[in-house]
Amino acid sequence: MQPGVVVTGIGIVSAIGIGTEETLTSLLNKRSGIAPVRWLETIHSGIPVAEVSHSTDELAEIAGTSGQPGIFTRNTLLAMIAAGQSVEMSEPSGSGLDQAGLVMATTVGGMDYNEKHYRSLLAGKETAGGTSVLDSSDTTEKLAARFGILRNVTTISTACSSSANAIMLASRLIRNGKLTRVLAGGSDALTIFTLNGFRGLELLSPTGCRPFDAHRDGLTLGEGAAVLMLESDRTADMSKALCRISGYANVNEAFHQTSASPDGAGAFMAMSECLESAGLEPWEIGYINAHGTGTEMNDRAEALAIERLFGRKIPPVSSTKAFTGHTLGAAGAIEAVISVLAIREQKVWPSIHINEVMPEISFLPPNDTLSVPVGHVMSNSFGFGGNNTSLIFSEI
Amino acid sequence: MKAFIRSAGIISPQQTYDCRGFPEVFRGGISDRLSCIEPDYHSLINPVQLRRMPRILKMGLAAARLALSDQENADPDGIIVGTGLGCLRSLETFLDEIFDTGEQIKSVLPFINSTHNAVAAQIAMLLKNNSYNVTYCHRSFSFESALADALMQLKEKSGMNILVGGIDELTDDFITLHRPERFRKEQLNTLELVSAPDRGTIPGEGAAFFLISDNSGNGACAGIRGVHTFLTDPRSAQELIFAETDKFLESSGMDRKDIDLVILGMNGDTESDAIYKELARDYFDSSTGIGCYKHLCGEYYTSTAFALWAAKNILETRAVPGMMVRKETGRKSIDKILIYNHFLNTEHSFIIAGKD
Repeated sequence: MQPGVVVTGIGIVSAIGIGTEETLTSLLNKRSGIAPVRWLETIHSGIPVAEVSHSTDELAEIAGTSGQPGIFTRNTLLAMIAAGQSVEMSEPSGSGLDQAGLVMATTVGGMDYNEKHYRSLLAGKETAGGTSVLDSSDTTEKLAARFGILRNVTTISTACSSSANAIMLASRLIRNGKLTRVLAGGSDALTIFTLNGFRGLELLSPTGCRPFDAHRDGLTLGEGAAVLMLESDRTADMSKALCRISGYANVNEAFHQTSASPDGAGAFMAMSECLESAGLEPWEIGYINAHGTGTEMNDRAEALAIERLFGRKIPPVSSTKAFTGHTLGAAGAIEAVISVLAIREQKVWPSIHINEVMPEISFLPPNDTLSVPVGHVMSNSFGFGGNNTSLIFSEI
Repeated sequence: MKAFIRSAGIISPQQTYDCRGFPEVFRGGISDRLSCIEPDYHSLINPVQLRRMPRILKMGLAAARLALSDQENADPDGIIVGTGLGCLRSLETFLDEIFDTGEQIKSVLPFINSTHNAVAAQIAMLLKNNSYNVTYCHRSFSFESALADALMQLKEKSGMNILVGGIDELTDDFITLHRPERFRKEQLNTLELVSAPDRGTIPGEGAAFFLISDNSGNGACAGIRGVHTFLTDPRSAQELIFAETDKFLESSGMDRKDIDLVILGMNGDTESDAIYKELARDYFDSSTGIGCYKHLCGEYYTSTAFALWAAKNILETRAVPGMMVRKETGRKSIDKILIYNHFLNTEHSFIIAGKD
């Protein structure tokens, strides 16, 4: 028998708060983090975003790295804070991490720093912090250094499913007996690079995203980080175990670089293979935390796939992106933490901002928090390039 | 568990795209970089798709096609790509577009093409392949991470073929940004990079894909026995590396005497090469051969994919090309090859290639 995977620590930073308690309060009070631009220096300040409500300097203070500008990007600071919470919850002594692995994920890494300094770096005018912060692995290596992790350190980048894949890899490392604990998650800071990219694709909502609404008009970009401590159930202190990771699946839709197939074939494959890997029947899922970006295309494809797979017994489905925005490479991990909280609190989180549910679907995403038994949560993360991943979290 | 390399496809600064083993001659020249010799992509990629395709995607799709070209079952059960910098040129183009237009961008195509997973995703689309698909972007661990994942896939389920590759492209901006810290200021004869050490190295690029499997298919004999990565503080790298090498070899059921040839990531930078020289001098058995490869492909994050391609050829042809030899092996045959590479004395990686 392979060892099982349990979650023993969670850390989260997003527009709805720093830490699990602030996040929980926002979820329970239906307090969205979507607001006008506050920190990002962009001419498109009319587009609503979901920024973390602290300046980069303030984040540095929280992360304990003040006074080293240019060394720690906003992306890295978000990840450090989330990872710190996760370690604190799982292993307050911080010991034994030298044998742990570290799998992080991001889409644009140090772009928040890069885009501010790129031209002066190119002109040779600037070297402070230097060019080492530019790539995807910078954040991961800074975390590795902070926690003394030396082996099995890597970074995944599969667009919007990046950190779901980080959690999947970490789980496989444990199930295969290669490691007994892995810190896994993802981070992405808001950047003008992604804002202009998604704006160019005409995928940004002018008003704030409304996943599964009939008149949804696009996604809202967010930022944040989440990191989970995953452990083998053979060696973990099970009194700290918050839930199990019982299933995972990664497929490629192989349809289009930036769109989902209209019938949701990729979403269907990811979810059904995930159920199979967990050995669960569709009706056993108590809550689906959908990818639910709020774009016309994603929500229809995902909803149709859910209808097809779950038939007449569709569990409550919601997208928490109306709270956090779409945090890209961090989304899979942020929604993983939100899924873990659903199990811990035995609650289904609402899908806020829906005025009129999209007519194509038969299920009703809940408007309010539901207090119902939540045994198994499925969390979906679908990305550009057809990289679709589903995870299942289960009650101990 | 055995992992066979059933086939390989490679586009590199050498004439490699059209030959099965090593090219007849290794090319050098007076330059400050090593850029790929690229095939006519029309024979490998649909011309309609080719038209607006960024160079790195062409390189990746073509190398993947080459790796699958002589395989009966060309539909892999997984596509795993390592890339240190991803689709760098598209990323730079989109950044330029943002700056030049004051955020009034006219073309979003560079953004679409800039995502790090574009190569793996496009391969999946080209092959209409729905299987496991992941991209690793962790500097000099990128290819090793992809390879380690591929090996774990093979362990999880038997009878699978996994397409795994390492790819990075070189751009002018990248050279400009990193030259002060990392690259030679003067041009040099690239073939003499390692033999004439100085401060800095020369940048390179390449795309190498491998179809690996737990069965040998049509008699593949070269395989992968283990992969390992290790982070150190650069100041303590030298004192830690011997013990780490021991530990890794032991975990792979070997010791240092079993290694017939070690391929080192020497890149001509005095500071960077010190640790390789020490390993070559003090660590390995006196009959272990020593080879190097970065004078052939340049320094880039996924250069160990080039080294693995070389190791595969060496195992299959039973000979080390003279251009790669630093010290002849004293062994009768070459059955086990260790590839050791490091980046700035911080990221260290090992791959063992072996033969049955």
